[in-house]
Amino acid sequence: MSQIAGHLEPYLVLSGMLFAIGSFGFLARRNAISMLMSIELMLNAVNLAALAFGAFIPSLAGQGAAFALLIIAVAAAEATVGLAIVIAIFRNRKTPLVDEYDTMRQ
Amino acid sequence: MNNDLLTLAPLITVVVGAIAVLVSDMITPNRNHAPVAVALAALGATAALLINQGGSSASALGGSYVAGPFVAFIGLLGISIVAITLLIAPAYLAARKYPTAELSATLLFALAGAILLGAATDLVTLFVGLELMVIPGYVLAGYAKRDPLSTEGAVKYFLLGSFSSAILLFGIVVLWGVAGTASLSGIATALASGKANAGLAVALALITTGSAFKIAAVPFHYWTPDAYQGSPTPITGYLSVGPKVGAFVLLIKLFVIALAPLAALWIPVMVVLAAATMTLGNLVALTQSNVKRMLAYSSIAHTGYLMVGIVAAGAGEAAGIAGVLFYAAAYAFMNLGAFAFLTALQGRPGATTQLSDLAGLGRKHPRMAILAAIFLLSLTGIPPTAGFFAKTYVILAAVQAGGPATILAVIAVLNAAIAAFYYLRVIVYLFMRDPAEPAVQVAEGPMLRAGLLIAAIGTVALGLAPTPIIEAVIQALAK
Repeated sequence: MSQIAGHLEPYLVLSGMLFAIGSFGFLARRNAISMLMSIELMLNAVNLAALAFGAFIPSLAGQGAAFALLIIAVAAAEATVGLAIVIAIFRNRKTPLVDEYDTMRQ
Repeated sequence: MNNDLLTLAPLITVVVGAIAVLVSDMITPNRNHAPVAVALAALGATAALLINQGGSSASALGGSYVAGPFVAFIGLLGISIVAITLLIAPAYLAARKYPTAELSATLLFALAGAILLGAATDLVTLFVGLELMVIPGYVLAGYAKRDPLSTEGAVKYFLLGSFSSAILLFGIVVLWGVAGTASLSGIATALASGKANAGLAVALALITTGSAFKIAAVPFHYWTPDAYQGSPTPITGYLSVGPKVGAFVLLIKLFVIALAPLAALWIPVMVVLAAATMTLGNLVALTQSNVKRMLAYSSIAHTGYLMVGIVAAGAGEAAGIAGVLFYAAAYAFMNLGAFAFLTALQGRPGATTQLSDLAGLGRKHPRMAILAAIFLLSLTGIPPTAGFFAKTYVILAAVQAGGPATILAVIAVLNAAIAAFYYLRVIVYLFMRDPAEPAVQVAEGPMLRAGLLIAAIGTVALGLAPTPIIEAVIQALAK
């Protein structure tokens, strides 16, 4: 069934690294759009892990692609809503920097 | 195939209802009450279908969606939450020139997510249900799109919400890979047969962090106060109960069902999180002068009480889940009621919700103030209201579970005493202070009054007759 060459572990390590880069980007960036992109990177890392598990673990054969497709659909919905919200706040504040969204801080 | 459609009928009805709301708005635009009427009709039809399915255990979608009493309970609770929100929101939104059609449709989509979450028996369906429930929440938080506070709350809610979804999802995928199955009960079986490894530890850590964000447990609660304060008040009411109840359904399914064999590992973490959540939520709520923000922090404290039930359930005390579900129902009615009261005070655009705005309201609007007092007493946990029995059930379950849960029960009782101070302070302002000088304009209207009344009836009925509900819950769990 395995259409991917090699072993499961390297794919998981790559996925973990992508996820870590995405998390770091989310925490370090201050631009709302960059943060949104970092989240997309994290979700793609998850997709890679799902496909690798699906390809290498016999009992999950064929489920990986289905899982990944659903995650892609959810990520698309999330990105749509997220961009709409960022555009709405940009119209109000004229800045994409989240540091400056601090009206309610007490 | 036919059977599948019958089993999925409640879910399909909600989605078709949401589309019907949007179509009705296209046919007759700018009619504020038509979309709400269509949505309420869809809610009624869904409720009937759910009650009809209450006794069955039919499954659909290859076994990943199972109808039955548990879904019926979650679905009916979700329907009540959405219905009350739809009754209290139109007057508030109309005064600020925001439409009601999008609100009605978005709430119905979120309800579809909640039903899917309740019916899910595998990780994939569970995650899709969760996202279907929370993504409409981001839209709703930013509903007042010309209001800087609303969009600011929405952006924070969205960014931290989707960040936590990604963390939770990574944990779910690793758990799925390690256990070798997506089925929740299958995972429990696989874990019980002892396949502990590093992957499992990663999965558990990621799932715990992601879930803690979703339920707004300390220290993952930072988005909550801003998202709640910024949103339009009726929507804050919905956000503080709807997604929270859904997140606890997720916790029951992930931790109490799938990760039950690992309870010894996650219970200590959950105990610390619950203790911190209750204590910090209550202490910060004490210092708030804005009632809306105070209720936001108090909702964090209620998350802590609900987690007490999860810990008890994890320790093998079946009454824990019943306690969580009863608490969720009680909390939904009393908290939504409190926000309905705040909505009534904000009939005029720009009206604030400072404590001083409430002064002397008991003299000018005694009926409204008495309703507010009922909700606040219930949130405090004073008998014979719903809040009292809700706290009793979770704390009792924790005591019976023993071990670390007992300590948590003590902390919960101490916290209830702290909480009494800030809830009762609002009642003191309502009844024992001189009226505020520019008198607060209280909005009245048949729909708002109906919403308040339903919330009040729920709060009082669950308090006066808790036994039938708790028995129904226990029966639902037994199946």
